[in-house]
Amino acid sequence: MAMVRTPLMFARLPIGGRRLLFGLAITGICLAVAFPVLWLILTSLRPESGVYYVHRGTEFTLASYAEVLLDERLIQAFVNSALISTLATIFSLLVTVSSGYMLSRFRGPAAQTWFGTIYVFRCVPYISWVLPLYFVAQSWGIYDTYIGLLLPHIAVHICFFSWLMKGFFDGIDPSMEHAALIDGCTRWGAFIRVALPSAIPAISALAVLCWLFTWNEFLFALILTGNKVPVITVVMAQFVTEMGLRWNLMAATAVMALVPAFLLALFGQKYVIRGLRI
Amino acid sequence: MTPARRPMFGEQQRFMLLLIAPAALLLGLFQVVPIVIGANASFRDWALYNPKKTWVGLDHYKAVITDPAFLEVVLPNTFIFMVASVIGALTLGLGLALLLNRPFRGQKIVQTVLMVPLMVAPVIAAIMMRWMFNDQFGIVNAVLEGLGLEGQPWLVERWSAFGIIVLTDVWLWTPWFTLLLLAGLQSLPKEPFEAAAIDGTSAWRVFSHLTLPMLQPVIVVCVVIRAIDAFRTFDIVWTLTGGGPGRSTELFSLYAYVLAFLNLDLGRGSAAAIVGGLIILVVGIGLYRLVDRVTKT
Repeated sequence: MAMVRTPLMFARLPIGGRRLLFGLAITGICLAVAFPVLWLILTSLRPESGVYYVHRGTEFTLASYAEVLLDERLIQAFVNSALISTLATIFSLLVTVSSGYMLSRFRGPAAQTWFGTIYVFRCVPYISWVLPLYFVAQSWGIYDTYIGLLLPHIAVHICFFSWLMKGFFDGIDPSMEHAALIDGCTRWGAFIRVALPSAIPAISALAVLCWLFTWNEFLFALILTGNKVPVITVVMAQFVTEMGLRWNLMAATAVMALVPAFLLALFGQKYVIRGLRI
Repeated sequence: MTPARRPMFGEQQRFMLLLIAPAALLLGLFQVVPIVIGANASFRDWALYNPKKTWVGLDHYKAVITDPAFLEVVLPNTFIFMVASVIGALTLGLGLALLLNRPFRGQKIVQTVLMVPLMVAPVIAAIMMRWMFNDQFGIVNAVLEGLGLEGQPWLVERWSAFGIIVLTDVWLWTPWFTLLLLAGLQSLPKEPFEAAAIDGTSAWRVFSHLTLPMLQPVIVVCVVIRAIDAFRTFDIVWTLTGGGPGRSTELFSLYAYVLAFLNLDLGRGSAAAIVGGLIILVVGIGLYRLVDRVTKT
């Protein structure tokens, strides 16, 4: 749609004026969208005494970051979040790529049933299965353990990602796989050596999304862990109630939690944009 | 895939099953089993002080669906939230997608900035908003006072608190709409737009008669996905207001959580979780029909 015409109300302005207006509007929008994050960064750089008047005063300090970095529980939470996000990404992709491939390449009752199941479970609110998962995890002895937090994080993306992977594989012409089968390749060979390499852009997009979703997830850890497996979102939410008055520390922690997500998104953006063009 | 040679009987079925087996196993263990156990718990007096877990039949369900807090606060809140946040994010997301869908200098940077909220954890977004709308030290009140207006106790009144929850959600999810709608816009055929440009059609008519109808399938899919997700929103409410003031901003997920883990009535909490699950299932199936109809025409 390269041919969008300039709205009529600007048509009478000279080209330069139109550009200026457009530039101003764009800058304004960007500032409005980014403002909460900028404000958070600014708050995190203020000293303890100046935090209540962020908009006034000019002293800045990194002391809040230093204090956060000395807090063992927070460091533990960062490590846990990173570990669980990475493992969950690897395993979710392993599981959903094949499931999406099946949905895309086969018709018939089995594929239809699986698709229906996925759609229904995609709608189920997290609380409806995570709340009772609390008793299940306790009776299986995985409450408040890494594995007990990791597995639900893998399970949660099965529906959505299988569905997205189906879309990606639908866009890949299966004739190469047919050719491979005729040449004596097994079905697994055709899937792994022929279909999978052409799905790499989509897989990269899902990897970025999965890591971000897991890093940002809150409810699972809130319900399924106690004190032994702190993750960053839960620790921060506890901050709000326990350290409600120390906004500089909270802001510093939040900024540190944003950094890995930003870096990943910055490098992964092009994969996501390319991969989501279903 | 049509097999090249007629396969041994069952070979194809085995391949299909193996492909979905790990996913199905995880789904079974971590979603189906808990739901079944939760359903069992919802018929019992499953509280910490009662080790016998006596069967109470439909009592918990009756208690939930006759609870005035559920009927008059939680359900309306959940649906108002769903509609408001989806409409807000869709409108803004579509606007931004149209803006980004033309080349201009610095477009890449603008696109990156507009994607920022997508990377922010809902908990962090809620913390930021809570800080900005803090009644004593928040920037919003500071600006209002600078303009000679009075600062508001934003999070202490029901509708302003609710509005901030919606605002936070719209901020978080607008980029998601922008991303998917932009992808949709870029895959539209160019010819109709070129023809319209030659005819000198006004921008508004191009938008309402060409862009919008052609984009409709993508919009519907985005709206359905987002509406179903909005129904289960938990993090931002928990962090922003905790359901308060009083219980006036509770959404469905928070209601079930509070029953189970703060009131320690796991039986009634499970019943609430199932009631909510059934409601969204009905809504979800209705929406699926809609998607099916729109994408087929």
